[in-house]
Amino acid sequence: MIQISVQKKLLAADGEIKLNVNISLKKGKLTTIYGPSGAGKTSLLRIISGLLKADKGRIVVNQKTWLDTDKKISLKPQERKLGFVFQDYALFPNMTVKENLLFALDKGQDKKIITNLIAITELESLKDRKPENLSGGQKQRVALARALVRKPDILMLDEPLSALDPAMRNKLQDYILKVHKEYNLTTVLISHEVGEIVKMSDTVLILEKGEVIKQGNPFDVFTNKQISGKFQFTGEIINIKKEDIIYVVTILIGSSFVKVVAEENELKDINIGDTVIVASKAFNPIFQKVK
Amino acid sequence: MIEWQPLILTFKLALVTTVLLLIIAIPLSYWLAYSKSKVKPIIETLVSMPLVLPPTVLGFYLLIAFSPSNTIGSWLNDYLDLQLIFSFHGLVFASIIYSLPFMVQPLQSGFSNISSSIIEASYVLGKTKTKTLFKVLLPNMKSSILTGIVLAFAHTIGEFGVVLMIGGNIPGETKVASIAIYDEVEALNYTMANTYSIILFAITFFILLLVYLINGGYIKPFKK
Amino acid sequence: MNVLNGKITAIETSGSLSIIEIQIGAFFFKTILIETPNSASYLKEENQVKVIFKETEVVIGKGTKHMVSLQNKITGTIDGIEKGALLSKLCIKTSVGIIISIITANSVQKLDLKLGETVTAMIKTNEIMLSE
Repeated sequence: MIQISVQKKLLAADGEIKLNVNISLKKGKLTTIYGPSGAGKTSLLRIISGLLKADKGRIVVNQKTWLDTDKKISLKPQERKLGFVFQDYALFPNMTVKENLLFALDKGQDKKIITNLIAITELESLKDRKPENLSGGQKQRVALARALVRKPDILMLDEPLSALDPAMRNKLQDYILKVHKEYNLTTVLISHEVGEIVKMSDTVLILEKGEVIKQGNPFDVFTNKQISGKFQFTGEIINIKKEDIIYVVTILIGSSFVKVVAEENELKDINIGDTVIVASKAFNPIFQKVK
Repeated sequence: MIEWQPLILTFKLALVTTVLLLIIAIPLSYWLAYSKSKVKPIIETLVSMPLVLPPTVLGFYLLIAFSPSNTIGSWLNDYLDLQLIFSFHGLVFASIIYSLPFMVQPLQSGFSNISSSIIEASYVLGKTKTKTLFKVLLPNMKSSILTGIVLAFAHTIGEFGVVLMIGGNIPGETKVASIAIYDEVEALNYTMANTYSIILFAITFFILLLVYLINGGYIKPFKK
Repeated sequence: MNVLNGKITAIETSGSLSIIEIQIGAFFFKTILIETPNSASYLKEENQVKVIFKETEVVIGKGTKHMVSLQNKITGTIDGIEKGALLSKLCIKTSVGIIISIITANSVQKLDLKLGETVTAMIKTNEIMLSE
C-alpha cells in the first residue's frame, strides 16, 4: 500500500495552481494519471520520486516513510526505491544498452536480473548498441528495463508512449503490462490517451488544476453515462468528410481505422483529434473466420 | 644557437597549469552550472575577469599580495616556505588564475548542455552525486573537456604580462618563451626572436587546429 | 443520432437478454438489450433514460397503416426534406419530437414523399440503444 498526500504551489502557464493530492495506490495495481497539461501530473511524479520538494506532505511506501514534512523527513531520490521512465527516455549516451542496465545495479546486487530484463524486453540483439543507434521504441524499452533493475517499490512512467507511432505504442503497452504483471509492480503512468488508459489501467485519476476531480475504474470514469451498446470502443477522430448529405467519420481505434456514418447535428461539437466512444448494438456486427 | 630552455619552461608551465586547472575547474564549473545561489553572478564575474583585464593589472596585484613584505606573502614564506614572486610556483599560481575562464567556461557550458533528466535518472537509480559526476556527466562532455584543456594550455603558452610582472626574467626559473622573445627583440636579435616566434606560432596553430578538427567531427579520438 | 428522453415502464428479462419498454409522451418504444437489471444499474422501472437510434435505421412508410413486424411505429408529418445525389434526409414531426430519417433518394421519389405528408417512422427493436 502506498499512501500519498502532498501539497505544493506550482507555477503553471495560466498562473499559479495549488497541487493538492491525497491518494493511495494498491500494491500490484496500475494507476494512470490523466488530465490537461499544466494540471500538475509530472510535478506529482517528481514529488513522489523526490526530485521536487513538496511544500507539505506525507508519502508512505510499504510502511516506510519517504516524506513527512511535519517530522522533517524527506528521503533523497537515491534513497527511495523507485523506477522512473522519463518522457525523453534519459538513457546515458556514453553507455551501451547493457551498460545502462548494469549502471542501475545496486552494490552487490545479483546481475541475473539484467539477463532476465534483457530477455523480457527482447533487447538481446541490441544490448551492445549505444542509445544513439536505437529507435524511439527501442530506447523506451531500454528505459523501462533500466527502471526495473532495482526492483522498485513504485514504477513511474511519465507519458512513456506519447512520442511513438500507434503500432509501436501498442507493442510498448504490451511490454509495460508484461513487466507490470511479471514483477508484480505498483505502477503509475501518465497518459493522454483514453484508449491506452482503458486498456492498461486498473484505476485512473483525473487531475485538473492540481486536484483529483475523479477517480475509479477507467471505463466508469470516462463513460460518464452508461450506454447499452455492447460493441463499444474508444477511439480518436482522424477525419470527417461530407459525402452526399451525410458525413463519413474515420476513427482510429487501437491501430485500426473504422468508418462511421454520422449526421450533421451529431458533429456539432466533435472535432478531429477528439476522443470518442464508438458504440453499436451487439445485434449488428458480423464476423468471419480468418484462420 | 637556439636556447631550448625558455621553450621547455613554457610547456612545463602550461602542462602543470592545465592539470591543476582541470582539477580546480571541474568542481567550480559544476557549481556554476547547477547552483541557484545568489553569489553565483559574482563568482562568474570574478572567473571571467582575466578575459578583459589587462594581464599587467592581475600581475601587479599578485606581485603586491605575494611580496614578502606583505601579510599574505610573509605568511606563505614563513609557514609554507613558499615564495610566490619571481619563482616557478608563483608563475603556476598566476597562470591558473589567468587561464581560469578558458577552462571554466567550456566546462560550465558542457555541464549545462547535459539534459537534466539524465542526471535525475542517475539519482533515481540510487547513484550519488559523485558517481553521477564521474560516470555520467564527465563522459558525456568529453569535447567540452578537450576544449577547456586545449584552450587553457594554449592560453598559458601565450602568457606575457602576468609572467613578466610576477615572474621577472630568471633563466631556467621564470624566463618563458614569450619573455625570451621580448628579450631578443630588445637586444635587436631579430633572427632569434623569429625562431622562437615561429615555433610558438606553429605549435599553438596545430593545437587549436586539432581542437577544431576533433570538435567538428573530422577526426574521432573517442571510441564510439 | 436521434436522442429522445423517456421513462422505463416495463422490463422483461430472459437469461442475459431484456426487452425494455420506454414511455415517451403517449408513445411506447421497445428495445432489446444484452443487459439485465443486474448487469446495468440504470435498468429500473420509472428511471429516466435516453433512447438512441441512428437516422439510417429509421424506416419510412407512407400513410399510417402497415402490416410489418416492426414494433416501434410512430406517425408524423414530413417537416423537411433534404435531397442528395444518393441519399435524402427527412425530418418527421411526431408526438415525441422530431425524428430524422436517412433513406435513399430513390425511395423518396418512388413513394413520392412531400412536405406535410403523413408518414410512419419505424425502428427495429434491436436498433435502439439506451443511455443514462
